[in-house]
Amino acid sequence: MAGVVEVGLGRRTRRWLAAWAWVVFAFLYVPIVVLVVFSFNSSSRVNIWGGFSLGWYGEALSNEVIISAVRVSLIVAFVSTVVSVVLGTAVALALDRYRFRGRRTLDGTVYLPIVIPDITMAVMLLVFFAEAFKLIDSFGPRLTLGISTVALSHIAFNISFVCVVVRARLDQFDRTLEEAARDLYASAWETFRRVTLPLIMPGIAAGGLLALTLSLDDVVISAFVSGPGSTTLPVYVFSSIRRGVTPELNAISTLMLAASIALVLGSLALQRRRASASQQTQVL
Amino acid sequence: MTEPVAAVEIDGVTKRFDDVVAVDNVDLAIDDGEFFALLGPSGCGKTTTLRMIAGLDLPTTGSLRIFGEEVGMAPPDRRPVNTVFQAYALFPHMTVRQNIEFGLRMRRVKDPELSQRVAEAIAMVRLAGMEERRPDQLSGGQQQRVALARALVNQPKVLLLDEPLGALDLKLRQEMQQELKALQRTVGITFVFVTHDQEEALAMSERIGVMSEGRLLQVGTPREIYERPASRFVADFIGRTNLLEATVDSSGAVRLSSGARIEAETSVPAGSEVAVSLRPERTRLQPRGTASADGHSLDGEVRDITYLGHAVVYEVAVGSMSVEVRSEGEVGQPFAAGDAVTVSWDRGAATVVAD
Repeated sequence: MAGVVEVGLGRRTRRWLAAWAWVVFAFLYVPIVVLVVFSFNSSSRVNIWGGFSLGWYGEALSNEVIISAVRVSLIVAFVSTVVSVVLGTAVALALDRYRFRGRRTLDGTVYLPIVIPDITMAVMLLVFFAEAFKLIDSFGPRLTLGISTVALSHIAFNISFVCVVVRARLDQFDRTLEEAARDLYASAWETFRRVTLPLIMPGIAAGGLLALTLSLDDVVISAFVSGPGSTTLPVYVFSSIRRGVTPELNAISTLMLAASIALVLGSLALQRRRASASQQTQVL
Repeated sequence: MTEPVAAVEIDGVTKRFDDVVAVDNVDLAIDDGEFFALLGPSGCGKTTTLRMIAGLDLPTTGSLRIFGEEVGMAPPDRRPVNTVFQAYALFPHMTVRQNIEFGLRMRRVKDPELSQRVAEAIAMVRLAGMEERRPDQLSGGQQQRVALARALVNQPKVLLLDEPLGALDLKLRQEMQQELKALQRTVGITFVFVTHDQEEALAMSERIGVMSEGRLLQVGTPREIYERPASRFVADFIGRTNLLEATVDSSGAVRLSSGARIEAETSVPAGSEVAVSLRPERTRLQPRGTASADGHSLDGEVRDITYLGHAVVYEVAVGSMSVEVRSEGEVGQPFAAGDAVTVSWDRGAATVVAD
């Protein structure tokens, strides 16, 4: 703008940077556009356009293997999110509030599942389940890999993520608010329910959303610890790829994309509504 | 039951945090209906003492009674006291009304009593019309009033205030001082407040307890604390003073190291090392030779002059010592640096402090 002194970057550099930004943007989004476009392809060949059709969506939604995989994915995602939110929040609270034997060790290792590679985690869990089953089976029951081992494995890594997010929120939490509640005749439990919990809720919700996404997204670990009949959707898609990419997979992927976009938009809308609600009271 | 029961009675209370002694064997009785200030520099144990009355910290040893009932180890929700916290600690996710209702709801008070008491509290602190706002939409002074209403709506037997005016700017602080005093007269309950501001303590409270390094050094009315400080620390901490090192004479007077004799009452035995406290505003300057050396004056030389508008402060060299003389409402400037002068004061203005 006229009158504004340019500091730092010259005009040429700025043009180049802007162009570069567009290249990066295209790199990120062109594959997605291709995927979505070809999911509406009437041809059975993935790379040849044969006209617009919703046929592959119909095909995908009437495929019982896919429906079952979706069901497994949703059950695992729901169970692992709920359990890991409760346990992860409890661990975060314990690490934040209390000094106990082994606290430092726990503090240092609770985040390990975030940094160790998925494949290591997957092998670890598989070996663990095999050994555990050997032990338990010696008392009679015959346990096998299935939907519960997938759910347990997802809980195992999700706890860490929930714990990290909730602890970040607890770090900013003002403990005198709890003292104020205690001073105003609230018991320890009422203080937690009416003051602590509502104030760390954004952290818990964010942790839960993260857990949900990670669970719906996971391929490597699920592929190792699932058994017959407990295939999740990503695992199904991954194994189908080996038989060749079909427009059906494009349709499923587009549906998954739509679902995750809806989830993100939903949480954004929720936040915005809250923000505008507090703004309205300000106007009054 | 003829003797009136103290509102708060602290008996030999000590609080240790690991190996730090925060409060060291404090004895204190606060009367019913009193406006009491705990005064001291930061880290002196005044806030810890207040927190022990509230139940937010538990004493390591000693006993603590509220209206005769032992509460030393009781949790905060089992004590008939409420607290106004330093940064107010209003619940950010609740409206003004919800904040004020909180204590009553926790004690299962139902409508219509609930809404009536909340309305009274809101009217008392003049917050009508603000009920549905959230704390972050209020000014500092309004937040302060919400904190007061939230505590007082519970009709506590004792109200505890932790640096209640510390977060406000000077002008608002002076207004709130008057408001708090008026409020205390209205509700008639005991107020115990913690402050590091000695002027605030003098202006607001009926009695002051001065603390330093975990110990309660002196308890008294503002006048007693100011006029008859029991120790060097109290004399120096409350207002400005000249502390002159001296030795008690056999004749009931004291002698400065320079040999000058000062008349001052003391019960300390002869030969003791003491200090004489002389308030700058209780002394005056005269040209040397016009005042008689009757034990209420010292000869010196003006070294420095500071003009403050409403007062002039002279620094006078008396032997190896320096004495500050504050002269208020003075017209012109009769003394200049280097003038030979006599610092004098009225009988009783010089106070002996023993330790």
